[in-house]
Amino acid sequence: MKNKIITILFIIIVCGLFLLNIIVKDIDISDSERRYLTKFPDITLSGLLDASVFASIEDYSSDQFVWRDYFRGLKAWVQYNILGKLDNNNLFIEDGQIIKIDYPLNINKVNTFIDKMNLLYNTYLKDMNVYYSIIPDKNYYSSNKYLKIDYDLLFSMVNQGLDYMEYIDLTDKLELSNYYYTDIHWKQETLDEIVDLLSSSMGFKIKDKDYKRHEFTEFKGTYYGQIGLKVPFDKLTYLTNDIIDAASVYDIESKLNTVYEESSLGKMDSYDVFLGGSSALIEITNNSNTSKKELIIFRDSFSSSLAPLLIEGYKKITLVDLRYMNMNLLSDYITFDNQDILILYNTSIINSSDMLKIF
Amino acid sequence: MVFSSITFLYYFLPIVLIIYFIIPNKFKNLCLLISSLFFYFYGEGKFLIILLLSCLMNFIYGLLIDKYRNKKLAKIVFITAIVTNIGLLMYFKYLNFFIDNINNIFNTNIPFLNIVMPIGISFFTFQTLSYVVDVYTNKVKASKNLIDFCTYVSLFFQLIAGPIVRYSDIDDELKKRKCSFDEFGSGVIRFIIGLAKKVLIANELGSLVSLLGNIPDKAILTYLIIAVSETLQIYFDFSGYSDMAIGLGKMFGFHFLENFNYPFIAKSITDFWRRWHISLSSFFRDYVYIPLGGSRKGILKHIRNIFIVWFLTGFWHGAAWNFIIWGVYFGILLIIEKYLLKDFLDKHRIFSHIYTLFLVLISFIIFNSESLSEIVVFLKSIFGFNNLPFSNFSTIYYLRSYLVVLLCGIIFATPVVKYWQKIFSKPKLRYIGSFLEISGSMLLLIIITAFLIDASFNPFLYFRF
Repeated sequence: MKNKIITILFIIIVCGLFLLNIIVKDIDISDSERRYLTKFPDITLSGLLDASVFASIEDYSSDQFVWRDYFRGLKAWVQYNILGKLDNNNLFIEDGQIIKIDYPLNINKVNTFIDKMNLLYNTYLKDMNVYYSIIPDKNYYSSNKYLKIDYDLLFSMVNQGLDYMEYIDLTDKLELSNYYYTDIHWKQETLDEIVDLLSSSMGFKIKDKDYKRHEFTEFKGTYYGQIGLKVPFDKLTYLTNDIIDAASVYDIESKLNTVYEESSLGKMDSYDVFLGGSSALIEITNNSNTSKKELIIFRDSFSSSLAPLLIEGYKKITLVDLRYMNMNLLSDYITFDNQDILILYNTSIINSSDMLKIF
Repeated sequence: MVFSSITFLYYFLPIVLIIYFIIPNKFKNLCLLISSLFFYFYGEGKFLIILLLSCLMNFIYGLLIDKYRNKKLAKIVFITAIVTNIGLLMYFKYLNFFIDNINNIFNTNIPFLNIVMPIGISFFTFQTLSYVVDVYTNKVKASKNLIDFCTYVSLFFQLIAGPIVRYSDIDDELKKRKCSFDEFGSGVIRFIIGLAKKVLIANELGSLVSLLGNIPDKAILTYLIIAVSETLQIYFDFSGYSDMAIGLGKMFGFHFLENFNYPFIAKSITDFWRRWHISLSSFFRDYVYIPLGGSRKGILKHIRNIFIVWFLTGFWHGAAWNFIIWGVYFGILLIIEKYLLKDFLDKHRIFSHIYTLFLVLISFIIFNSESLSEIVVFLKSIFGFNNLPFSNFSTIYYLRSYLVVLLCGIIFATPVVKYWQKIFSKPKLRYIGSFLEISGSMLLLIIITAFLIDASFNPFLYFRF
């Protein structure tokens, strides 16, 4: 009797899920994981002979499995509650914050970052006002219960390697509450002290801090789906004032012409509301500023939410993302002529510096 | 295709099961053959030709040996069969190893050949070798049915990672086999246990090994945990695969011999090898050790025979020196046990368990190293000769995070489940036992599915052999 029941249940589960997988329509995008799901591959003779088609089918079958999100949630639950894992897929939750462990510190990558910044400086930035700063990832501020990279070593290596530039230390001005619960980035509305520190260090002035707050309450950050567990929506706030509203934007990759791209809200990455997301080169022009003061930021995505708060201090801010643009092309787009320079990267980028297209 | 994949569990298996149990008996072997060939083609593409060639070649050898039995031609065919089978294995698995060593020894520059080893070649070649030898020595009748024979060689249950099934073991079942709810149900349980061993323990331990390997500042404890985890990982990976093969076999009416019997409770290395990869050690015993004379021709020849067998066992696992050292290491230990330690180990049971576990642990450090220098570094580190601290935060973090998995690995490497089954088979507890078995196995299947859907680490270690 026992084996009869086992046989029937096994057949129901295996054949039932097989049929459901055949019947249920494929999904293009996973909202929870914020990524495109694998589609059924094209079958070609060469693909069959070298078995590459079947490798794609492997990805397809797990990506398009019915109730995928529930199964991923179950796995995460088992990992945390049955197997007692401290993290799942390198993510853990502390005080409601989903935090990623970016471990271990890759000394070679940090050295490569330093070499790349030196080359950038020697090629374009000599005799200019060059500042640099490092944004710690969230794990810097988590409790010591979890695994962390050796932040002290990372900071001291970069400080030593770039000691001829002026360093602005942001670490004391940030804490966990400055970051989104479900995302890697910092919250724009909490960057007041960061803006003050930059303005006092770099010599520009921000007077109008009377911002109008716009809130999006269904924000699902990068880690929202990755963690696998059911977590509440995050809140994304973006700030405007007359100067930000009046600023014009030029993006070499898209037709973006406003500081905030509100159509991104609720889409795969709502953080793209800040300057439309990743782009090789963006210029923000402050039409109300009569000075000729300009700022160039070599940056990652953290600066997308910071730059609008700095625009009052400059006539123009140029944001350069060297992950998407080769350094050799810079002279085609920028005339380096006594602008302020801010090199601003988060620790994750420094720890995986291959992505910077400098050499 | 691997058993622990969504495509196997939720596409391949249901389709094969539905077709297999719908069609008449006379087509069942053909159904298994076609599905097995597809199973192999799915992972290996054009190398399917090698498998088909091996099937056809050995089928003809068998017929010829049978036809010319007791004549000189039978011996010629037999020798040809041995040479071609071993030649096939040599070419795909060992040629570049020989070239590399010739280049190193004679300072030559012979270019490497662009050879990719077809998965499972070591397993199916040993099966066909055993078949040819058994037909030649008249232990089994030559197969007269090409479909049955090809089904035997290519059965997807054991094609790519064993166990090494002998033709004589399933000859009758290839012709006629019974399927029942009882057999199918117990096959399902065995299959799910194997899946759980692979997905929930071996893969997790593999992930722990990989994480610890990436720690920049390793400590003695780091190396110790890696050694224990790798040893358990390879056991759960391989025995899990064997369980799945045995379970699938039962579902389709085949009965394969056991391949593992709780090797970590062994009380000597000799005992360990009676419990670990039984189908391989019995292959070498029956087809190499005994024909060479075994222990019957004096001490020196006995020692020689043990060395030959264990050199070959090591070399079978891979074309690299660490595998040869691994095999010879066991050869030396077995000789010492047979001639010096046997009585002592028999009398001191606790010591003999500790002794066996320690030597097995060392053996898998050799087994898992990629170079001789890596073996030295690992052994020096684990014994504290590399000036490393005993522990550090990173190692403790991972130990805490994987403690449950590690403990499960240690507990389930012992016959604890067998013990529980025994308790719950008593009349008073039988219903509770059945309920736990049914609900537990189905729950495990669902959890395993969840792990496979969100998988990031799923290689089968024994595929490379």
